[in-house]
Amino acid sequence: MRRFEYHKPETIKEALGLVTSLNNARFIAGGTDILVALRQKKAEIDNLISLRNIGELKGIEYGDGLWIGSGTTHTEILKSRVILEHYTALNDGVKNLGSRQIRNVATIGGNICNAAPSADTACPLLVLDAKVLIAGINGERWVDLDGFFLGPNKTVLDKHELVKGFSLPLFPKNTGSSYIKHTRRAAMDLPILGIAARITMDDGKEGATCREARIAMGVVAPRPIRAYETERFLVGKPLTEDVMEEAGNIAAREATPRDSIRGQAWYRKEMVKVLVGRAIKNAMERMGL
Amino acid sequence: MMRKEIRFRLNGEEMVCDVEAHWTLLYFLREIMGLTGTKEGCGYGECGACTVIIDNEAINACLYPIMEVEGKDVTTIEGLVSQNGELHPIQKAFIEEGAVQCGFCTPGMIMSAKALLDENKDPTEEEIKEAIAGNLCRCTGYVKIIDAIKTMGGGR
Amino acid sequence: MNGDVLSLVGKNIPKKDAPLKVTGQAQYIQDIKLPGMLWGKILYSRYPHGRILNIDTKRAERLPGVKAVLTGSTIPDIKIGFMKDNPPLKKGKVCSMRDEVAAVAATSPEVAQEAIELIDVEYEELPGVFDPVEAMKEGAPLIHEELKSNVLKLPWKLICGDVDRAKAESAYIVEDTYKTQWVTHCCLGTSGCIASFDVNNNLTMYSNTQIPSLAQRDYIDALNAFGLKNKRVRVVQSVIGGGFGSKLDTYPYEYIAILLALKTRRPVKILFTREEEFFATSPRQCTLTKISQGCDREGRLTFREMEMILDNGAYTSWGATTPSVMMMPISSLYKVPNVRYTAKCVYTNNNYSQAMRGYGNPQATFAIESSMDQLAEAAGMDPYEFRMKNANEPGEVTPQRFKITSCGMKECIEAVAEKLNWKEKRGRHNGRGVGMASLIHVGGGARVYKSDGCGTIIKIDDYGKVDVFTGSTDIGQGSDTVIAQIVAEVLGISIEDVNVINNDTDVCPWDVGVHASRTTFVAGNSALYAAEKIKAEILTIVSHMLGEDVAFLDIKNGVVYSKRDKEKSMPLGKALRSIHYATGGKMLMAECFYDPANENFDREFKGNLSVSYAYGAHGVEVEVDRKTGKVKILNYVAAHDVGRAINPMLLEGQIFGGGVMGLGYALGEEMVYINGVLKNGNFLDYKIPTAKDVPPIETIIVETVDKDGPFGAKGIGEPGLVPTAPAISNAIYDAVGVRIKDLPITPEKILKALKEKGAEKLDEA
Ligand SMILES: Cc1cc2nc3c(=O)[nH]c(=O)nc-3n(C[C@H](O)[C@H](O)[C@H](O)COP(=O)(O)OP(=O)(O)OC[C@H]3O[C@@H](n4cnc5c(N)ncnc54)[C@H](O)[C@@H]3O)c2cc1C
Ligand code: FES
Ligand code: FES
Repeated sequence: MRRFEYHKPETIKEALGLVTSLNNARFIAGGTDILVALRQKKAEIDNLISLRNIGELKGIEYGDGLWIGSGTTHTEILKSRVILEHYTALNDGVKNLGSRQIRNVATIGGNICNAAPSADTACPLLVLDAKVLIAGINGERWVDLDGFFLGPNKTVLDKHELVKGFSLPLFPKNTGSSYIKHTRRAAMDLPILGIAARITMDDGKEGATCREARIAMGVVAPRPIRAYETERFLVGKPLTEDVMEEAGNIAAREATPRDSIRGQAWYRKEMVKVLVGRAIKNAMERMGL
Repeated sequence: MMRKEIRFRLNGEEMVCDVEAHWTLLYFLREIMGLTGTKEGCGYGECGACTVIIDNEAINACLYPIMEVEGKDVTTIEGLVSQNGELHPIQKAFIEEGAVQCGFCTPGMIMSAKALLDENKDPTEEEIKEAIAGNLCRCTGYVKIIDAIKTMGGGR
Repeated sequence: MNGDVLSLVGKNIPKKDAPLKVTGQAQYIQDIKLPGMLWGKILYSRYPHGRILNIDTKRAERLPGVKAVLTGSTIPDIKIGFMKDNPPLKKGKVCSMRDEVAAVAATSPEVAQEAIELIDVEYEELPGVFDPVEAMKEGAPLIHEELKSNVLKLPWKLICGDVDRAKAESAYIVEDTYKTQWVTHCCLGTSGCIASFDVNNNLTMYSNTQIPSLAQRDYIDALNAFGLKNKRVRVVQSVIGGGFGSKLDTYPYEYIAILLALKTRRPVKILFTREEEFFATSPRQCTLTKISQGCDREGRLTFREMEMILDNGAYTSWGATTPSVMMMPISSLYKVPNVRYTAKCVYTNNNYSQAMRGYGNPQATFAIESSMDQLAEAAGMDPYEFRMKNANEPGEVTPQRFKITSCGMKECIEAVAEKLNWKEKRGRHNGRGVGMASLIHVGGGARVYKSDGCGTIIKIDDYGKVDVFTGSTDIGQGSDTVIAQIVAEVLGISIEDVNVINNDTDVCPWDVGVHASRTTFVAGNSALYAAEKIKAEILTIVSHMLGEDVAFLDIKNGVVYSKRDKEKSMPLGKALRSIHYATGGKMLMAECFYDPANENFDREFKGNLSVSYAYGAHGVEVEVDRKTGKVKILNYVAAHDVGRAINPMLLEGQIFGGGVMGLGYALGEEMVYINGVLKNGNFLDYKIPTAKDVPPIETIIVETVDKDGPFGAKGIGEPGLVPTAPAISNAIYDAVGVRIKDLPITPEKILKALKEKGAEKLDEA
């Protein structure tokens, strides 16, 4: 492995100072992406700045909404009851991410900042309207997660900025969310396709209509995307089988997957058609309709 | 490149070691400490052969920067045998149940099993599978490994 | 034996080396370091096909820590492999991405790696050919120009009876084409070796080979070619982190290590990374098979005809000989009087192939057992009934002249049907389905080499403790334990008193290697007879001491005793000491070289390949998601005729391990080569099953007590994965009516087939 220096700041300020002053410097959180890239010689780095010892980046808080520190590990997210109950899609996202060993060290911040089209927390956070709090030497800024991703491994982050965490709103009562990770293998697999859905219904009764819908898709474009047209289509409709099927068809038109060794484009499109409906159904079940 | 001093506990013993910043914990264990019970099957976090326990959690030593070990408690397969040479009950279960073939996955598998059992005394089959899903085994088909871990639970 | 109750055979004895393995003390090649040792690294080709115009190693040589750099033109001219077509370092031309072009030895792996990157090679890229069918066409690029053709000169052809006539007379005939994919062994411990010369140029190789005796021969031949005549070679095997056929041959990296060690006069270790293990070891080849089978009105098989094309890759190892084993199921799985089989192995610019667990049998059985279901359907029969009707039976001589002695095939098929609740679950077509497939494999050795033998030496000390030196290798399957059980059983001592030494050619006798599921049978018999010899000697001497007829003496629990007179007994240790410490004393030793009475094939590929044959049947219930094409295995049943289970626990371990490997073969594993470049050489993209992928598996052990096997045992190392893929494929067909004819059976393929079928239905309507 390439030789590098390793720095362990204890505050965000210190970390930002280091990243600005050191040559060829990058942040490392759990290291499960960055160390792999280093080993594969896909990254040239002389200084790794660890975010693991910065208390401010850790933890989950629930109040007027949900705050998740970027340094929170997937295992910590998996153990959160609040997330399981109110932000279920995110629980789905981390449940089958990598292995237990990976989840014990890998962070949500790393997953989002690495910006892989297949990142398993991306679609859940997209449908949960996550906002990203970014800290730089000159202060902080908020960005909608949807505006955060630019392409594979590309984000709006400046070299000298870091992500502090994610803020998710409170959702009304009749809300449910879900994420489906479509894989070949039952574990230790990257998704062929990831579909997340969040649905807020008018009221809890039969025949209710959809007040708000969010659909997000992974591995169908260079970055995780929202299916805006599908979302618009769903609003105001009762979520019948037919509606869900049509939603799948619309989403498939919004998807522009490519052939890769992990899956063929036509298959990914077909799966969008099927899984959008299933994700919506799962979301509905979770709101107790 | 400068060596750095780090302090941590390894298999119950306080350590003060000079390390290089780019080392992984796996490299340190195998090449510096000569603790070759922890295996390298891939070096990419994909096989689990390098699993060790840090502060009660199973991790892949091949993706763990040595610098992060500072102040932590590391247990490797060598640390499971008691002072008087008595094997850990999980090790015995693996032997008795036929969970070992070529044995290359075994140390990592046992560490994953231990981390699970320390947290959950009586895991279900599903929980066991989940806990060892990151430990590949090409020989056993996992069945007897799962059986061995099951025998550690209460009710079964 | 003699109808006595067995005390160790048949028991679940834990594997002897398990304590070392669970504590991390077992020493794999990864863990071994010698004083002064250097690290070797290999530079592989940049192109799948090209001319090497120039290699400049100057920059690498100047790097501090580099002790030697080798290229094809700086080493003696040798070629290795079964067809002697593979130089350890290539010169002039590269024929695959895995081609070894240069090598270095350095003081650390990191320096060696850096040095490799400093070697400049200039190539002229040549057009490549990556598909065996293309490679057979006129004008295709030639891999080895001097051979003038890409088709290997191997005459795989088996003809039994009169297929044309049988075809004409058959009531039902089906014909189809099946494909299998490249897959790789994925041993968790990667390949490696250490080569070390002493001052007299005798070589010690630390290696994880499956074939110590043949490897020793190969190395000696190489040393001769390097000008080192009459040197000794010692092969010391480290604990092996998985074999599955991958270590059945010697490979370029081993010769490179030897050459580097020779040049530097220091021990040199080469250890593969996981990337190398994926792209630079030899996988199971892909095959293309045309099959047709027929039966008469009653459903009796009339003929089977198969034509096969195998991708050999750029060089030749035992992969090219797998058709010899494929002939076994082709001629002898079910009673089929007329058989015609031809196979062509074709050079391409892909990685060169090797045998893998099953040695060709999984590829052949996939086609045969899929086709069996098709034929049953054509004949309007239930596939289970159809199989029962055609099943092999004891006493049969098959068209290839296999003499079937013990045979529990029908019992296996019946057991599977019963466990699966076949009658009720078959034919629902509601997304759930059941399927089955059977297997035959060699169970009593396989005479694929000039000798199928294995030697054993036993010595016993003053206290009745035994050292068993066996030629056979333990690759995790548990032969160390099975041999110990057999010896302890014969000698009436405890398993702890038996030490098995199986890793050093300096002391262990010859053995042809771990393959063909032969170890329990051949090494077991060898150990059995050696133990019986030493026992006979002990009893003869003790009979004088005790004044008892030897016929009434036996040993149990470490005591020699008379079966008719309780007074007459003597602890074994005491007897041995009396024998040792007498004037003209004796330390007892015995040896046996057992070579089974099986036959090499004759020129027509006929002959009794194995002394006995193993049978089995697998059954599976699946659920198919029609919308996504995903398959869920609900239930898996594996029934095997093993002769006798010497150690049911270890035996089940082989069945589970084989079954799950078969599952990977059927549903997920595939090496994706694009123009000769491996695209998924890592554990995330090459998907061997994880613990979460394992379905409920039930094993059924059928004991037929083979007359030739040690205590009646037959081999079981490979059979576990042979029928998995067709059983699953047949179940999918039963569930949703589509048959996938190329492995692996992915959701994509199922969905595509379902859509095509749906379109057909619409067309009809
Ligand atoms: C075997 C294996 C299996 C995997 N399986 C999955 C899977 O199933 N699904 C999946 O989505 N991913 C998977 N991954 C990828 C990886 O584990 C995840 O993306 C993980 O969440 C990354 O987190 P990390 O903390 O380890 O990131 P790191 O590697 O530490 O960082 C990743 C990148 O983000 C940057 N970064 C990290 N934190 C911050 C921050 N706060 N601010 C700014 N930049 C930051 C780093 O500089 C780096 O460029 C797998 C990886 C491995 C090795
Ligand atoms: S060696 Fe660490 S996961 Fe494979
Ligand atoms: S026992 Fe060989 S890999 Fe698990």
